Amino acid sequence: MTDIAPRATRVVTSTGGRRRHRGGGPRAGTIVAFVTPFFLPFVLFYLVPVGYAIWQSFLVVRRTGGQYGTSYTTFGGFEQYTKVFQNDEFWSSIGRIGLFGVVQVPVMLFVALVMALLLDTPLLKLKAFFRITAFMPYAVPGVIAAIMWSYLYSPQISPLVDGLKSVGLHPDFLGPGAVLWSAANVSTWLWTGYNMLIMFSALQSIPQELYEAAKLDGASNWTIAWQIKVPIIAPSIILTTVFSIIGTLQLYAEPAVLRQISSNISSTYTPNMLAYAVASGNNYQQAAAISVVIAVITFVLSFGFMRLTSKKAGL
Amino acid sequence: MSNTVTRISLAAVAAAASVAVLAGCSSPAPSSDASASSCEPAKGKVTLQYWNTVPGMDKVVALWNKKNPDIQVQMKNISNDQYGTIGNALKAGKAPELAQVGYDELPFLRTQNAFVDASACSAATAAKSKFVPWTWSQSSFGGTGVFAFPQDTGPMALYVRSDIFKKHGLDIPKTWDDYAADARKLHKDDPGLSITFFDPNNAEAFNGLLWQNSAEMYKYSGDKWHVSVASDQSKQVADYWQKMIDAKLVRTDLAHGSTQMYTAYQKNQIASYVGAAWGYSMFRDNLPDQAGKWSIVPMPTWGSSAASGDWGGSTVAFMKGNKHLYESVKFNSWLNTDPEALALENKLGGLYPAATAGSELPALSQGVPYYNNEKIFDVFADSSKNIDTNFSWGPTQKTVNLSLQDAMAKATAGSGTLSDALSAAQATALKSMKDQAIPATAGK
Repeated sequence: MTDIAPRATRVVTSTGGRRRHRGGGPRAGTIVAFVTPFFLPFVLFYLVPVGYAIWQSFLVVRRTGGQYGTSYTTFGGFEQYTKVFQNDEFWSSIGRIGLFGVVQVPVMLFVALVMALLLDTPLLKLKAFFRITAFMPYAVPGVIAAIMWSYLYSPQISPLVDGLKSVGLHPDFLGPGAVLWSAANVSTWLWTGYNMLIMFSALQSIPQELYEAAKLDGASNWTIAWQIKVPIIAPSIILTTVFSIIGTLQLYAEPAVLRQISSNISSTYTPNMLAYAVASGNNYQQAAAISVVIAVITFVLSFGFMRLTSKKAGL
Repeated sequence: MSNTVTRISLAAVAAAASVAVLAGCSSPAPSSDASASSCEPAKGKVTLQYWNTVPGMDKVVALWNKKNPDIQVQMKNISNDQYGTIGNALKAGKAPELAQVGYDELPFLRTQNAFVDASACSAATAAKSKFVPWTWSQSSFGGTGVFAFPQDTGPMALYVRSDIFKKHGLDIPKTWDDYAADARKLHKDDPGLSITFFDPNNAEAFNGLLWQNSAEMYKYSGDKWHVSVASDQSKQVADYWQKMIDAKLVRTDLAHGSTQMYTAYQKNQIASYVGAAWGYSMFRDNLPDQAGKWSIVPMPTWGSSAASGDWGGSTVAFMKGNKHLYESVKFNSWLNTDPEALALENKLGGLYPAATAGSELPALSQGVPYYNNEKIFDVFADSSKNIDTNFSWGPTQKTVNLSLQDAMAKATAGSGTLSDALSAAQATALKSMKDQAIPATAGK
């Protein structure tokens, strides 16, 4: 009952607003002039391709007889979606990135949080230097980062492997059990600094008085960090988690690059790689259906997480 | 809460509505293009589009343009994404007159109605006698038309590090059994040394090995494709390499053409290479220090009779919508049979010509300095003559190759065998053809 009231007020204000604008000819023109530059590309480059992909996912290929017959596409209902759900490779790729995400996302965000908190303490010197250094990997394109790491993983040419060998360790970064985590390491290296920066900027906006008050109450730096700072920046942590969930489901560049040097990454390793493999075999309709399913899963997971946590965080 | 629900259901309704609207404008009208087009010379000047991936081809085209002011050719290099670019252009109805297409992709594009039949031009059908027979039968689909002219081939041979062979007292292997014996001897002498490597991510190379053993993977008869990817001949090849892998006689950790592969050769860890004609420049250019150490000999055989396989090679195809067939045939013939053009393509692009006249090129009948001045192209010419002409590629080859690679990788990692990989590829072949509505059944 209580939350209906403010909502009603909001509705009233907006109607009022609309009424005020009505009849103002030049104003409508202004709105159009300001809004068109956004909506035109939005429709052209966002809605149309998404609509096209959805449309393609409902088509199937049929063929007139003969060895090479003539192919044509026609409406096939949910046929392509049925195939996606029956595809074992699709589910194993989903399972694989599920495992990837469950491990990689918490590790990365925890490291990012710790780094952000350390940057925020008055104890640390050379803050600007550490901030920019930690953020630097983000400036490296994912593919380049993966190529760089693939050199470090590759047993024939890696100084890292050579170095570990000299102390008696024989790591196999590209082995069947390790390669997923080698890919996770590349993602972590790329994105930790970025996530740290989002959390750090949230920390920066906390008023200093709060800390002073806490200090007067006898709180230690440790308590301030975990009892005050972390709860206050919870929304940014949630935001970075959502970004990470989306990023995990779209994982492509790192495994695709590592695949060139490791035979333990199949062409259908992640859902996006599966979609690409299917599209490159010219089965565009099936690839479109896979893409739509990935998008829906991403949507459900990220918004589900947001709803779940924002309630708990009291937002 | 109710607000959200309304919004979501509205979005769903909107999505459903747009699907319905789009469904209304479905265009299932199949366009038939496979019939032979007319072959009239154009009145006046003509400009042709020609897409390819061959380095130095711009110079070859420039030579043609200089000689033929009335038939000008505009070239575009599509080596970044060859089949993606061609596929998109076809979808948009903007294909060039001529495009480079690999033999293994010809049936696939043929099922996508990508080509136009040039057999209306008498010059096109007459060109048959100028090409190595198997290349012609692949690009004319067993004589159902003329859809492309062969350009280059990849007859296979064995590259041997003669110094390592000599040092360990190995004979040049005549059969695959000899080769395995050499491999064992080498491994016993020096566990750090392997006879060769097996790249599980390279279906093309493996297909070349299958081809050598007369593994006919696809056959068309009775209105159906008969798929026998996992035939006995294929399995014989798979079992052989599986044994080599299990005994750790071959490396499986090197991707073909990668820095890692060259590093392994550089460090003298590998004593031979099973490769194609175009590979001669790879070693020459990437391992200049090993000049004089390499020899090229015929590929080991399964029986006593000579047999070889092909790995790679391309055609120049007549693409859908071609309105200047007469001129296209003229240029395409020149490009792929004229000695001057062939010599230039060999020199600049490393192409090993598919035209029979190619073997008479001066550059291909001389000794090659890097290979101890051996006449290596004689080996490839013999190899080319021994390639099984019955071999044909499937209409969903790319998908089958990916599946084969995934399963071969599993086999080299210790789960399953290469023979299982063939069975997986067989299943994928049937499934992917069903997805494309191509009638197919398991053969043999």
